[in-house]
Amino acid sequence: MTATQKRIIMNRIALTFATISTVIALAFLFWILAVLVMKGIDALNWNIFIYEGSPPGYEDSGLKHALVGQLILVALATLIGVPLGIMAGTYLSEYGKNSKLAHTIRDISDIMMSAPSIVIGAFVYAVVVMPMGHFSAWAGAIALGIIMIPIILRTTDDMLQLVPGTLREAAFALGAPKYKVIMDVVYRGAKAGILTGVLLGIARVGGETAPLLFTSFNDNFFTTDLNEAMPSLTVTMFNYAISPYEDWQQLGWAAAFILSMFILGLNIVGRLILFAGKRK
Amino acid sequence: MASIIDIKDECALQVRNFEFTYKGAPAPSLKKVTMPIAKHAVTALIGPSGCGKTTLLRSFNRMHDLYPGNTYNGEIEFEGRNILAPKEDLIHLRTKIGMIFQKPTAFPMSIFDNVAYGMRLQGIKNKTELSDRVEKALQDAALWKEVQDRLKHDANGLSGGQQQRLCIARAIAVEPEVLLFDEPTSALDPISTQGIEKLVIELKERVSIIIVTHNMQQAARVSDYTGFMYLGELIELGHTEELFVTPKEKLTQEYITGKFG
Repeated sequence: MTATQKRIIMNRIALTFATISTVIALAFLFWILAVLVMKGIDALNWNIFIYEGSPPGYEDSGLKHALVGQLILVALATLIGVPLGIMAGTYLSEYGKNSKLAHTIRDISDIMMSAPSIVIGAFVYAVVVMPMGHFSAWAGAIALGIIMIPIILRTTDDMLQLVPGTLREAAFALGAPKYKVIMDVVYRGAKAGILTGVLLGIARVGGETAPLLFTSFNDNFFTTDLNEAMPSLTVTMFNYAISPYEDWQQLGWAAAFILSMFILGLNIVGRLILFAGKRK
Repeated sequence: MASIIDIKDECALQVRNFEFTYKGAPAPSLKKVTMPIAKHAVTALIGPSGCGKTTLLRSFNRMHDLYPGNTYNGEIEFEGRNILAPKEDLIHLRTKIGMIFQKPTAFPMSIFDNVAYGMRLQGIKNKTELSDRVEKALQDAALWKEVQDRLKHDANGLSGGQQQRLCIARAIAVEPEVLLFDEPTSALDPISTQGIEKLVIELKERVSIIIVTHNMQQAARVSDYTGFMYLGELIELGHTEELFVTPKEKLTQEYITGKFG
C-alpha cells in the first residue's frame, strides 16, 4: 500500500467518524425538540395566556403570571446588562485597546461568562436579597443582568474592532472629537453586530433558572410589584415539572415549549441580522 | 545636500527642520525635512515605499496624535503659528487642513449626512444652509448630478470612485485651507482616477493641495511642485516639470528613470 492510499483510507475513516458523531449529536437535538413540540403543543390552550396559577385540580389555571413575570425580569435585566456591557465593550475597543488593563478585563469577563449561573444567584442573594430581607424581581433582574454583561461586552468589543481604523481616522480628520467619532461613526458601523450580541445575550439569560431560584424566587400569582417575589417561566416550569399533579405537569410542558420557541426565535433573528450585516 | 526650490509666492505651510519618530523606533522616520508648500498649488510627494512621504503628510493634520508615543521635532508653520506646539487645538487644525485617504471612507450614513457631517460638527444646524452647502460641495466634487436624486440613500451603495468624490465633497464642505491626499486613487479604476485628478487641479484655485502618490505620471499630471523623498529625507523639491525633466539630484534622476523604486 502506498502512502497516498494510506492517506485516502485514513481520510475516509476520519470522515466517517466525524459524520456519525454529527448525526448522533443532531439526532439528540431533534429528539429533544420533537418531544418538546409534541408535549408542548398538546398542553397549549388559550387558558394558559388568560389565567394565572392556581392549586392543582382547578380548570382555570394558566401561565399568565409566569409569562408576564418572565418578560419583566428579562426586560429589567436587559436594561441593566446592555448599557453596562456596551459601555464596557466600548472602553475596551476604543480606549483600553491593547493595554494591560484591557486584557485583564477581557480575561475576567471571559471567566465570568463561564461562571456557573447559580453562583451569580448566590452572590445576588448575599448582596441584594439579604439586605432587603425578602426576594424581589429586582434581585432576579440584577442576577440576570450580571450574567448578560460579559456576553454583551465581548460582542461589543469584537464588533467595534471590526470597524476599519481608517473610518475613525476620516472622522478625526474632519475635526470630530473622540466621543463623536465613537457615537456617529463607530457605533453606526457596528450596529448590526451589537444588536445581534444584545439579542443573543437576552436569549442566553432568558433560559436561566438557577440564578432566579433564590433571587426573584417564584409566585403562583400574577404580580407586577418589582419589590416582591416574581414568577418566571423557568422556575415555574421547574416547580410544576417536579410536582406530582398531572395538570401542573402539563403546564410545565407548555412553559417549556413557549420558552424554547422564544429563545429559538431570538437566536434566529439575531443570526439573521448578523448575516444580513455581513453580506452588506 | 538636498536641493530645495525657493518658493517666491505665498506659502500655505512651512516645514522647518522637521523630525518625526514613531513610538519605540530607534531612529526618526523623517530627518530634518525643510520644505515650503506653495499656496493655491498642488505639491506632490513621491518616493519609494517607506520613504516617509505618508508620515510627512499625516504630520500636517497631526494624525499621528491618535496613536500615543510618537514624537515631533522642529517646526511646521501654518497661519503664522507652529502647529506642532503642544497647545495647538487639533480639532480646529483638522477643520483647516482636511484629508482624503487611500481607500474611500464613506461613513455608514446617507450621502447627505456624510457631506453635512463636518458642518454639523461645527454647529451648523440651519437646514437651508446645510442643504445649500451640501449641494455646493457635491457640485464642486463633480458628484451632484449622479446623486441628487438619492441624497437620502446609504453612501455605501456608491461605487468606489463616487465614494472617493463623496469624501472630497465632505472635506471641502467645511472650507479648509489645505487638503491632504494620501494616494487617493490607488484603490480606483483608471476612469475614476481621471475624475479625481481633474478635481484636484480644479480645487487648487481655492485650497492648497499636498498629494502623496506612488504614481509618477500622476504627480507629473496634477502637480505644480514635486518633492522627492528617500529614506526619510527630502532629496529634492522643485517645479514639477523641472524635477522630471532636469532633476538636480542624482538620486532623483535614478528614481524617476526607474533605476530603483
